[in-house]
Amino acid sequence: MKKISQELDNELLLYLDGELDSHAKERIERALQHNEALRQRLVQLQAVETTVKTHLLEAPSKNFTQMVMQKLDQYPSQATSFSMLNGILLLIGVLLLSGIATILVSSGVFDQATGTLDLNTIQFPSLNFKQNLPSIPIDGKLIINVTILLNLGLCWLVFDRAVLKPLFRRRMQMGH
Amino acid sequence: MTNDPDQVIIDQLLAGDREVYAVLVNKYKRYAFTIAQKILQNKPDAEEAAQDAFIKAYHHLAGFNRESKFSTWLYRIVFNTAISYRRKNRHQFQSIENTVIEYDQDADGVLEKIDKKKYLNQALMKLSEADRAALTLFYLDEFSLEEIAEITGMQANTAKVRIHRARQRLADELKNILNKEALTL
Repeated sequence: MKKISQELDNELLLYLDGELDSHAKERIERALQHNEALRQRLVQLQAVETTVKTHLLEAPSKNFTQMVMQKLDQYPSQATSFSMLNGILLLIGVLLLSGIATILVSSGVFDQATGTLDLNTIQFPSLNFKQNLPSIPIDGKLIINVTILLNLGLCWLVFDRAVLKPLFRRRMQMGH
Repeated sequence: MTNDPDQVIIDQLLAGDREVYAVLVNKYKRYAFTIAQKILQNKPDAEEAAQDAFIKAYHHLAGFNRESKFSTWLYRIVFNTAISYRRKNRHQFQSIENTVIEYDQDADGVLEKIDKKKYLNQALMKLSEADRAALTLFYLDEFSLEEIAEITGMQANTAKVRIHRARQRLADELKNILNKEALTL
């Protein structure tokens, strides 16, 4: 059986939708009289249209509306909210790192990690400084302590979003 | 003064009458669920996504500018919610390349009993989620091409071409799944 060209297949669909002008419509009807494959394709497309239109619409559960009305106060939704499990895992990870860093600081690992960054030793090819640049003191212990503090702040944020907010929201819903 | 009953309900909602939202949910739940179901191909997820979309729509009602129909705006939320559920749960979905369309050799005698819906869904699963959504909106017969484009975030011309090709592809996929006799039942 002759294969239908893509162009003819496109025209057939437009014919089915009644979107062809009179000339194109006559042309496709003539082709349909002589082309068995085209006739079969038309029957196939018509069958698909009928099947889809008849069977497409789906019915949700009977208590759909009731569920929506019950959950109206629950926002943001579960899909977009910060996952409690992910939050707790992140919290554990950050706390663990902060704990390790604190132990290392208290055991004096970073006591010797001090020095100065002399900006005069750095070459700036595009800039031509005449004056002396200052030296910046670097205190490894201080940097780690600041990092630990920032981590603890992050922990509080994660705890608030992943645990406290969902907990209070749930309690509020139960109270309704 | 508007004659659109949806606008009247929205006014009531914005005035604080929360319970009238059930009227809108009842009116649009089947279409909303169908759109979500066609994208997610999973009833519990589709139910959750459609409910979630209604809740989002309720909370953003004040931001609805009323330039389009409420249904168009709502279905855009449903579409986006279902797409985000799909991304979130992608790992749970079976790859279409690995999906085996089972054909029961003994079923020849009981073709009359074919569950067309099941085969239709199998054929739809062969299409991309954007094609499925666009086709669903097209066949639900409620939307113009411009509205379908607005809901799916495509250009109108792109939506037209996409729907056209998806219809051809759907016919091909159904043909592959069923034999000619089953299609012409």
